Amino acid sequence: MPITRREFALGSAAAVGAAAFSFPMPAIAETAPIRLGWLASMTGASSAPAIGFNRGVVWAAETINKAGGVKGRMIEVLTRDTQGDPTKAVNATQEMISSLKVDAVWGPTNSGESLAVTPIMARAKMPNIHPCVVDALIDPQKYPNAFRMAPSNGQWDDAVRGYCLKILKVKKVAVIGDTTGYGTTAVKYSANGFQKDGAEVVYQANIDATQPDMAPDMLRAKNAGAEAIVVWSVSTGMEARMFNTRAAMNWDVPFVGHPSMSSGDVANLVEKRENWNKVYPVGYRSCSFDANGKLPPRSAEFVDRIKGQVALSDTLLWWVAGGVDAVNLVAKAVETTGGSSGPDIIGYWNSLRKYPGLFGDYTFTPEQHNGYPTEDVVMSEASSARDGAFSLAPGYK
Amino acid sequence: MLASILASGLAVGAVYAMIGLTYNTMFSASRVMSFTAGQLGMLGGVFGSLFVLRLGLPMIAGFVLTLLCCAIVGVVTELVAVRPVLKSLDQHLYVLSTLALALMIQQVTAIEWSTEPQPFPRILGIGSGGITDEKFWLPVASCAGAIIGLELLYRHTLVGRAFLAIAEDNFAARALGLPERNLRIASFALAGMIGALAGFSGGALLLAFVANGALLNFYGFVPVALGGLGNNRGAIVGGFALGIFQQAANFWIGGIFSSVAVFVLFIIVLLAAPQGLFGYHAARRV
Repeated sequence: MPITRREFALGSAAAVGAAAFSFPMPAIAETAPIRLGWLASMTGASSAPAIGFNRGVVWAAETINKAGGVKGRMIEVLTRDTQGDPTKAVNATQEMISSLKVDAVWGPTNSGESLAVTPIMARAKMPNIHPCVVDALIDPQKYPNAFRMAPSNGQWDDAVRGYCLKILKVKKVAVIGDTTGYGTTAVKYSANGFQKDGAEVVYQANIDATQPDMAPDMLRAKNAGAEAIVVWSVSTGMEARMFNTRAAMNWDVPFVGHPSMSSGDVANLVEKRENWNKVYPVGYRSCSFDANGKLPPRSAEFVDRIKGQVALSDTLLWWVAGGVDAVNLVAKAVETTGGSSGPDIIGYWNSLRKYPGLFGDYTFTPEQHNGYPTEDVVMSEASSARDGAFSLAPGYK
Repeated sequence: MLASILASGLAVGAVYAMIGLTYNTMFSASRVMSFTAGQLGMLGGVFGSLFVLRLGLPMIAGFVLTLLCCAIVGVVTELVAVRPVLKSLDQHLYVLSTLALALMIQQVTAIEWSTEPQPFPRILGIGSGGITDEKFWLPVASCAGAIIGLELLYRHTLVGRAFLAIAEDNFAARALGLPERNLRIASFALAGMIGALAGFSGGALLLAFVANGALLNFYGFVPVALGGLGNNRGAIVGGFALGIFQQAANFWIGGIFSSVAVFVLFIIVLLAAPQGLFGYHAARRV
């Protein structure tokens, strides 16, 4: 039977169509790397956490890749230095979504940047996990793609209040913060919480972090009868000055509050090492030494494993552990669901119940994206740093 | 409480007064209010901490190097931010140029040094935290030294008289053959050293902290405005008065409201005496 040109053309088109649509696709997607965007403030004012997190991120990605990846897929970490600048964070986020086409984003690591980029990632339905503390960053209705794997400000506040009222058993507190937006908001929130729980806030103040002499405020707090001073500030200079003033006043009131009170900068600024005693900043049970000087088994094993590979002496263990957890949470999502699409990863995270991370046991549901357990937020001894971890404050079992 | 108010009030007042002198020294030579004055104070603390604590130099060597570095920053200010705008003083472009340079100094310090306060060494090791501690009286002693030094320079040396001549009448001084440009550069170097002295002697109190630049820029300007532009005695009285008032307000009112009290007093004084408490009405020939 002769074949006309029209039949030949139709037949060829059908053959090409069949080749394109009928045959199974080669497994390109299954060997493509898992692309993890990492919004890291590696330089600039708030670089210390990102540097710590990054050590965990790099170690976790290398460890997974050396073991053959996730079902054969390598982890590719695409890092952008946002320098602590929300504008740069926005640009980097746009690049990750539009050009780099990442599968998920880890970070940013400070709330200022996160406030700027969270709505952008929500519009793109980009799976995002971060450790930023501002409560408003997590809202499963507005931002169903955003998950927090560290405590929120509210959880910090609850832990500080619980320690003051239940363990130190004080009734009168002074609440002091700096004059930044964070300081003023945190002081108000904290003072309200204490009053609701029946404590008396005998002194409440916001102090300019550059104020050279803390004697006026410390004297007011003392005269008002404060039994503990709750501090909400990231200014290590202001905190060290308060500790020095307390010593000069021969007052042994405890300080409880923001984790920055345990920063290494404070150690350089206190006039005597003992001025740093009775200072109890927020810490985490997973990264705290017990009365016998031991870390919890999971953390101890991790510290032994990374010895010689990841430096802990100049950073915090929870930052490194958090970086490892972030990479593992993405890897586990791909491993479990078999895919790396946004819905796959978000769906997996929403299904997690007490997922055993290094930093904490995370629980997420479609209605609750604050994954860190409040009971694991504890107070530490500020001056007890070793391998990036701290001893539990007195009163914990 | 009174002793504490006086000790810390006089100490910060002395630092403010020295920054006021820095403003005035630059202003006298150029008729320019250079907003790098506070940054020079900040650099005094940062360089002091860098040379003595980080590099481990002896205190004297660290102090001399700090003076030298700040003198260089003063000269750079004259070259970069002042000289190009001298021809159009009436347009007040120096506000922009000196502020821009001040911001650059602050940013570079933040990047190269730290955004967190860093410790400053104890200079003499006298006192241990009480009101007799050197951190309280050393700035006052340094301020007294700066005042005496400036008086000796201006009243008893030929160079000092030449400074006064260009401050009094720039054109007449030039007509007499005085090297006005060189004297202006020397004035900015001198201002740099006074700023360095403020930051170095107040280092234990203010720490080596980049944020001190903006703080000293403002609180150093207040005594200049209160005391009258170019009036060193007015700046000194204004500086000490500001320090004591601010500290008293810290004790009595507390927190951010003490800053509000300072601003309110500042505005009231300027409304009552716009030329400053020790200034005079300039006569204008018509």
